[in-house]
Amino acid sequence: MRKDRQRIGIIPIGDIPDIAPKVIAAHISGYLDLQAILLEPMQTPSYALDRQRRQYDAGSILQHLESGFFDSVDKVVGIMDVDLFVPVFTHVFGEARQGGRVALISIFRLKENAMDTSSDSAIALERAAKVALHELCHLYDLTHCESHQCLMYFSGSLPDLDRIPLGFCRYCSQYILEATKFNPKFP
Amino acid sequence: MDEKMSVMVVDDEKIVRESLFFWFEKAGYTVDTAASGFEALKKIEAYPFDLMFVDIKMPGMDGIQLLEKIKTEYPDTVVIIITAYGSIESAINAMKAGASDYLLKPFKPKYLSLVMEKIMQQRKLTSECNYLKGRLEKISRFDNIIGQSSPMMEIFELIPKIAASDASVLLTGETGTGKELVAKAIHAKSTRSQYPFIAINCGSIPDTLLESELFGHRKGSFTGATHTRKGFLEVVAGGTLFLDEIGEISSKMQIDLLRVLEEKTMTRIGSREPIHINFRLISATRKNLEEAIATGSFREDFYYRVNVIHLHIPPLRDRKKDIPLLVQHFLNKYSQETAKHVDHVSQNTLTRLKRYPWPGNVRELENAIERAVVLSDSRTLKTGDFSFLSTGVPGKKTPSLRELEQNYILEVLEGCEWNITHAAKILGINRVTLHKKIDRTGLRTLKK
Repeated sequence: MRKDRQRIGIIPIGDIPDIAPKVIAAHISGYLDLQAILLEPMQTPSYALDRQRRQYDAGSILQHLESGFFDSVDKVVGIMDVDLFVPVFTHVFGEARQGGRVALISIFRLKENAMDTSSDSAIALERAAKVALHELCHLYDLTHCESHQCLMYFSGSLPDLDRIPLGFCRYCSQYILEATKFNPKFP
Repeated sequence: MDEKMSVMVVDDEKIVRESLFFWFEKAGYTVDTAASGFEALKKIEAYPFDLMFVDIKMPGMDGIQLLEKIKTEYPDTVVIIITAYGSIESAINAMKAGASDYLLKPFKPKYLSLVMEKIMQQRKLTSECNYLKGRLEKISRFDNIIGQSSPMMEIFELIPKIAASDASVLLTGETGTGKELVAKAIHAKSTRSQYPFIAINCGSIPDTLLESELFGHRKGSFTGATHTRKGFLEVVAGGTLFLDEIGEISSKMQIDLLRVLEEKTMTRIGSREPIHINFRLISATRKNLEEAIATGSFREDFYYRVNVIHLHIPPLRDRKKDIPLLVQHFLNKYSQETAKHVDHVSQNTLTRLKRYPWPGNVRELENAIERAVVLSDSRTLKTGDFSFLSTGVPGKKTPSLRELEQNYILEVLEGCEWNITHAAKILGINRVTLHKKIDRTGLRTLKK
């Protein structure tokens, strides 16, 4: 484990199961070797609700979070349990700006065909971890990967998401290692 | 990994532009946006985008107008139309106008990903197809027509222009100049290139057989016609028919072909059923057809029908600059074919090859190089490898000294109207010696 790891803040937004941020933090720590820190929860952002679509605008939530003061961490991952969208898409599992500072994921659709039993719940949490790792890597400027065996492969559906393994191809692994090198901002 | 495409999103709604911009950016594409059709055209002029996502409803220039402009000016750019539910009819119109696909807003992220995969596949196939077409074109087009002399450069420039039209072409030139190669090149560059190229040497086929070959026949139409057979005029379907030595065909055949060219229909021998045919005619001859018209052996109306475009292929002696290039080309060809390491021609030999008149033109040169490569034991071809260079022009005996003397005396005598005193003065000999020479060589018998 590197001592000079970057810090990732995990923010629960609105009403979400307690276990979800913890699982995501553990995966960030385990798979990317970064420090994952649970931050204070935030309230569901009512300003982002599109009443016609009955969905939350991921873009405006991201914009709001990006203007926030998260001085103790390098990057931020917000976790929600509402249906997220961006205007041209029917829905998104998560959203992040390439090379940005904040990523957002929703476990709302990840629970489909899951959460009935404890094993199903584990599946939903694994999906959430995959989406969180994927979106977080966009913050480190990783783009979509063509390998179906890599977490950076674009998964537009749950079957796609379930098919990809929890791990990165060797090219993306190398890229992440370089991109997440210690930032002297937090000695 | 394939090179990522460049993408432009054209939409008057900022939020749509941004959403797609971020998605494409995360997917690793080079992406740009434009808020109007005008801005998009300005940007594409500066940078040729591979793919454009265009909203159908925009103020000023709408998506369909932009699509039409892009398809006219940048046909390689793939356009995907973005439309809202309720305007599917416009989306269908867009597809008719050349859009590759359309997306109904809002669409599933997975669907966009599938559309991108499909476009990538199509792009890969198009690129492979273009590469193979280019290879094929190179093989069949100019690879076998060698030349850098100005007459050949003019022909190279003319071939694409001639290929672009559908008019009949008459190729003239001596035997062995490469008329069939030029015909093939015209075919390969034309829109008919996907269809057959059929070459017939009219001079080598008897007239009755030529008729059957061209028009085909119905079963039982003549003795030996055991089954119905399509003629080349039908088989060529959409392609190019090359009639070599057209000056050799009979008047009857000229009339039959004239009718075919005018009516675009024909009937098989023994049949009355007219068959519609579609082909381009390229003819070739080494004869002077205008002289043949004057003597009545070639029909004038047929001549003007086959000679809409005339292209003369110069003889090799008029483009000697091409000889070293042709020599090297055939040397490479035959040393590869025979697996012999013969790759040079000595400078002295090359000079002599350039001086040689090549009555059989490029074909004769090719045969000479092939023969020399096959028989040579050395890496470099020398004068001795070309027997005709040491014996003179084939078919023309090198005169002896006595013959040269005889011819010269005769020339001088004729020039002086057999005035012996005058001729002896020119020749620098006395009159008695001249008389003796005239008697010895029997020139007196030639006095008119």
